[in-house]
Amino acid sequence: MTNRIGVRDYSMGLALLAIWAFFFVANSNFLAPRNFSMLMIEMSINAILALGMLLIIVSGQIDLSVGSGLGLVGGIASVLVFQHSWPAGMAMLTATLAGLAIWTFMGALIAYQRIPAFIITLGGLLIFKGAFWKVIGNATIPVVAGGQSNLYSLLTTYYFPPAGGVVLGAVVAGVVGFSSWRARCRRQARGLGVEDFEPWFLKIVVFAQAVLLLVIMLNQFRGVPLPFALLVLLSFVVHFLSRNTPFGRYLYATGGNEEAARISGIPTNRIIVGAYALMGLFVALSGFLQTAYAGASTTTLGELMELDAIAACVIGGASLRGGRGTVLGVLFGALIMASLLNGMTLLAVSPEIKYIARGSALALAVWLDIRLAKS
Amino acid sequence: MTSEVVLRAEGLVKRFGDTVALNGIAFDLLKGEIHALCGENGAGKSTLIKVLSGIFPSGSYDGSLTVLGQDARFAGVRDAERAGIAVIYQELALVDEMSVAENIFLGCEPSRHGVIDWGQLQDRARSLLQRFRIDLDPDLPVSELGVGTRQLVEILKALRKDSNILILDEPTAALAEHEVRILLDILRDLSSRGISIIYISHKLDEVFAIADRITVIRDGRHVWTKVRGETSQKDVVTGMVGRDITDYYPRRGDHPSEPIMEISGLSVAPGRNKANVLKDISLSIRAGEILGIGGLMGAGRTELMMHLFGAWGLRTAGSITMRGKAFTPASPCEALNQGLVLVTEDRKRYGLLLEQNVNFNISLSHLRRLARVGILDSELEFAESRDYFDRMRIRGGTLDSIVAGLSGGNQQKVVLGKALMTRPSVVLLDEPTRGIDVGARVEIYESINLLTDAGCAVVMVSSDLPELLGMSNRIAMLVEGRVGGIFAAAEATQESLLQAALPHEQSARVAEEVTA
Repeated sequence: MTNRIGVRDYSMGLALLAIWAFFFVANSNFLAPRNFSMLMIEMSINAILALGMLLIIVSGQIDLSVGSGLGLVGGIASVLVFQHSWPAGMAMLTATLAGLAIWTFMGALIAYQRIPAFIITLGGLLIFKGAFWKVIGNATIPVVAGGQSNLYSLLTTYYFPPAGGVVLGAVVAGVVGFSSWRARCRRQARGLGVEDFEPWFLKIVVFAQAVLLLVIMLNQFRGVPLPFALLVLLSFVVHFLSRNTPFGRYLYATGGNEEAARISGIPTNRIIVGAYALMGLFVALSGFLQTAYAGASTTTLGELMELDAIAACVIGGASLRGGRGTVLGVLFGALIMASLLNGMTLLAVSPEIKYIARGSALALAVWLDIRLAKS
Repeated sequence: MTSEVVLRAEGLVKRFGDTVALNGIAFDLLKGEIHALCGENGAGKSTLIKVLSGIFPSGSYDGSLTVLGQDARFAGVRDAERAGIAVIYQELALVDEMSVAENIFLGCEPSRHGVIDWGQLQDRARSLLQRFRIDLDPDLPVSELGVGTRQLVEILKALRKDSNILILDEPTAALAEHEVRILLDILRDLSSRGISIIYISHKLDEVFAIADRITVIRDGRHVWTKVRGETSQKDVVTGMVGRDITDYYPRRGDHPSEPIMEISGLSVAPGRNKANVLKDISLSIRAGEILGIGGLMGAGRTELMMHLFGAWGLRTAGSITMRGKAFTPASPCEALNQGLVLVTEDRKRYGLLLEQNVNFNISLSHLRRLARVGILDSELEFAESRDYFDRMRIRGGTLDSIVAGLSGGNQQKVVLGKALMTRPSVVLLDEPTRGIDVGARVEIYESINLLTDAGCAVVMVSSDLPELLGMSNRIAMLVEGRVGGIFAAAEATQESLLQAALPHEQSARVAEEVTA
């Protein structure tokens, strides 16, 4: 949606390489198969949440409640499965519908009652936290009870077999390459400027190689983890939504200039409610993933995940004033935040330093972004 | 007026990358003169001002600048202010919540030991107001002032700095006729006190009412400087555009047809339990004609448009019918679906997504009809966008260009294109040519004519009386929320329109003046 991706994407790529190099030098286990696989799972959960957050931020809003909200939704599913013996699928569907209903309601308050999103979701943060603790009775509810075989715990313990991973990678590379080629042809046919063939082709080749490398690294441990595959799927969905549907365009228009959007005949209120409703779905999914990954619903689950999601969007170039942000940027942003956290955990950095480092990374990224945008 | 030169620029050259904004401009300003600067958007007026006011520091341009015979090298705005140059911009920089006095001294409050000396601030504000014989309460919050009075406060801010060179950039863009008169009187008074004024305006009537000398620039070059008496409006326009414009207002003849929309006895309030802003308005809007709507600032013109479009107000009486059926849109979205479209006066605020490209903007209102099962047909979208891009004759970019980079006239064409793509039957235009230069204006008028030719009904709000007279088939003047008169354009004159736009007491006074 913006033509300024260039410099920023490279700068994000370089920042990521620098972070990886640093942790790899500090502890070579950082890029070892096992840790790399964990990093990818952690990053996927954060990135899925951040994709939802992207829709909210692009429409000019904010959501501070997703961290405690995902704890709550995950907690509802945990209680239903492991205390009331519901089938995991039923329980997750019920919890998802609860998430959808809650977020639609918040969106309606924000859009139709004109209560600032900051306040509504700040209230939500506290309310959901309280509700979460009530639902789980202040106890720890392990996800593994009843064995590893239920759908819920499989979310983060299922890995695609090596061959399946390769097929998955080939499909991704193929889809990206083909759609990029088609878009290029289309622009040419319309007489709009296109990148020269060679650099474009080189980019596609590098991308395909990166995908292959990723699959090989993941196959060295147990294979491509399910959350990562989900992330890839959802990235395509959100990307398509944002570019090729009126709803997606309206999100950018509403966030970019709400008054102009309204006068242009866009039902801005419905668009905002729609963004929050989708956020509810993303919260539910990342709630299940995070709970399954942590192995239990505990009172601290999901804490500060809203900030990681917002950070991923902002590092990825989304504007908090709305109207700007891309899926690719969010993926980079989430990877940077997850790498920092994972690397520090690996180095056994104390929690207080971790907080400081995450906060500094966010501030630094935004500052750099502003500098780059100016130059 | 003496012939002492207070400011002289010679051979100014300013480049932005490959673009040459100023190409060897020469300009001089005499003590106590009002010197009008005319040029199309992009001719280099803003760049010249930025050089004169120190926004572009010395060294970022070539050429020389002298103030009172001394070489001036401004490192920044403060240096220029110290040399006595003050700029009053289109966008007013006042703090609404503060009083007139506080605003005048904003940034250099008289203080003792770091604490603001309120007494002295009051006294100095009062004496400043007295000195320039301006009748204004310095304690009044700026939020309670009209646009014209705010402009005065802005000028006082400049005078407080003991400026002897004032640069006014489109000072009357947001002013109503009578406010313009007051402003021009004050400027004349200032110049008689030896203050030199550079006056920039698209409105040539004003330029010829006030300027001692006129300089025309085009494409960053000086075209000519003449004393007012030696030139004419036509001469200025030819100089600005670089060619003769024979027909400013390409109006179509009247081809009366059936009314599309009937407004009868309409009264509208801003909300529940509030006084009506629009009172007992009855108008009929006909296919194939332009209905001009005039009136002073605050007469309810914009409110009428916004209400018709479902974007504002609560209807307390009366009715609107469209093709015989009751018309009560609850939102712009509904109005659009029923064949209305609105082009707002403030295109940057209400019309465009400046950070997006032309294609995004031009297809925005029509998107839902370019989609199948919720998915955009991008081939169709592109074809439509290209079609309206060509019809509007948008220049200086492609469908891929970011809108913020286009000139004002081309931005307005994007807004018009967006409106037309929805195939409207009623088009509401609010000040369609505000801030747009002469050349682009004619093109906008021609696009409006395309609309009426296609059988659309056009309602055009304008503060520019010549424009109303030149383009409309009929003209309705609003006064304090009511219809003050409806005229056939052929029978109306500027005087009769103005008469109908003034409230009764004022109207009587003007009548006296005219007869006296």
